[in-house]
Amino acid sequence: MNVTVFGATGVVGQALVPLLAEHELTAVSRTARDEPGARYVVADAASGDGVAAALEGADVVYYLVHSLGARDFEEQDRTAADTVAREAANAGVQQIVYLGGLGADDPDASPHLRSRGETGERLGSAGVPVTTIRAAMIVGKGSAAFETILGLVKRLPVMVTPSWVSTPTQPIALEDAARYLAGVCGNDATYAEGYDAGGPEVMTYRQMIERIAALLGRKPVIVEVPVLTPYLSSLWLNLVTPVSASVARPLVEGLRNPTVAREERIRKLLPFELTPFDEAARRALA
Amino acid sequence: MTGWETSERVLESGGFESRQRVLVSEPAVEASEAGARSLGVTYWQAVDRFTRGCVRASWTGGRGKLKLLGGATLLTFGPPELSFDDALVSCRHAIQGGLLALGAGGAVTLAQRGEGHQQELSVTVEGYLPRLAARAGAPPWTGILYAKGQSPFHAAVSLRYFELLLRGGDS
Repeated sequence: MNVTVFGATGVVGQALVPLLAEHELTAVSRTARDEPGARYVVADAASGDGVAAALEGADVVYYLVHSLGARDFEEQDRTAADTVAREAANAGVQQIVYLGGLGADDPDASPHLRSRGETGERLGSAGVPVTTIRAAMIVGKGSAAFETILGLVKRLPVMVTPSWVSTPTQPIALEDAARYLAGVCGNDATYAEGYDAGGPEVMTYRQMIERIAALLGRKPVIVEVPVLTPYLSSLWLNLVTPVSASVARPLVEGLRNPTVAREERIRKLLPFELTPFDEAARRALA
Repeated sequence: MTGWETSERVLESGGFESRQRVLVSEPAVEASEAGARSLGVTYWQAVDRFTRGCVRASWTGGRGKLKLLGGATLLTFGPPELSFDDALVSCRHAIQGGLLALGAGGAVTLAQRGEGHQQELSVTVEGYLPRLAARAGAPPWTGILYAKGQSPFHAAVSLRYFELLLRGGDS
């Protein structure tokens, strides 16, 4: 099959591309690349430049793009999704595979999570069936959410945290998320379907912090306070972690929403042993 | 969502049993571990939303604490006990103590059960020993905080939980 991956050079894209080696692969990024394993093309989903050319002849399209960090990320995500949906329909694409977010269907979802949900809907708006894999935090090197937690653990012996540390989440290893994405490629039973892709363990962010700290041989003191706004939290994260405030704020706002799988159909469709959190975190830390 | 019912009675043991339920046409959750777990996750989310974050569940080492403004521990719970089959999906938490309990005992169970062509969603608290309720033989007014406060509050949270469960299930 001819497969086009938008966001091929991102954290998830780089893990996915090798798993699609059996296909004719077009890897799309905003800057020029030349690496083995795929034909790299330059396109920008937000502006529309090069999108039609990147989709020419494609059977399956992976959409791993988001505008987190941009001031108007919601609008940019909408525009990019509309562009790819329209051009994919024009190109006769059979399937769009989208990495969405768990918790996006929460009625009180944060703008970031809401945007993830809306992007999935818009990708299907031109008639190409979308397969959505909904994941919580991706545990892997370079994942913005994971790096945020890691930055806190590495730099702070004492953490004053807002109540989001008690929110349950179900983080998934980068490699496992990529396997799920690759596994639905061209499978018409998954067309126009959404799947919750949780990791093997449900934990709170507090537990996640404690477990990452244990892997690093640290034991931070966590003091939970009832009131700390996402704005203040993002400024604080900007100060003490490598993640910029513009990325941290939408992430922090999303942490108040539980991100736990409500169903496990994907595990029956693509059965394999999921990577335990500690193992996934160890790999990300290596 | 139809068939809203709420009831409460005192058992011979002195423990309280409270039950709220609604009937829905389709299952709100899948008959799986994830489905059972989401009953619990959604319930604690409903507590948080209903109280606008003033009362939240906090989990450490598998045990849960229901905290008021991040400070006072109102109730403590054991880890979720999940079970599921085609007829029943449930998430049970043993009540282990806290300011609102006279002691450890009882449990809260969130369940989805097939009932004819419909599904019953329920919240059942059984064997709970509420600190604020009137003791046996004491004048009824001594339990007014429970009867007029905690009990209707709990029923209102249950209704919010059912709504949240169904709205999440719409997706």
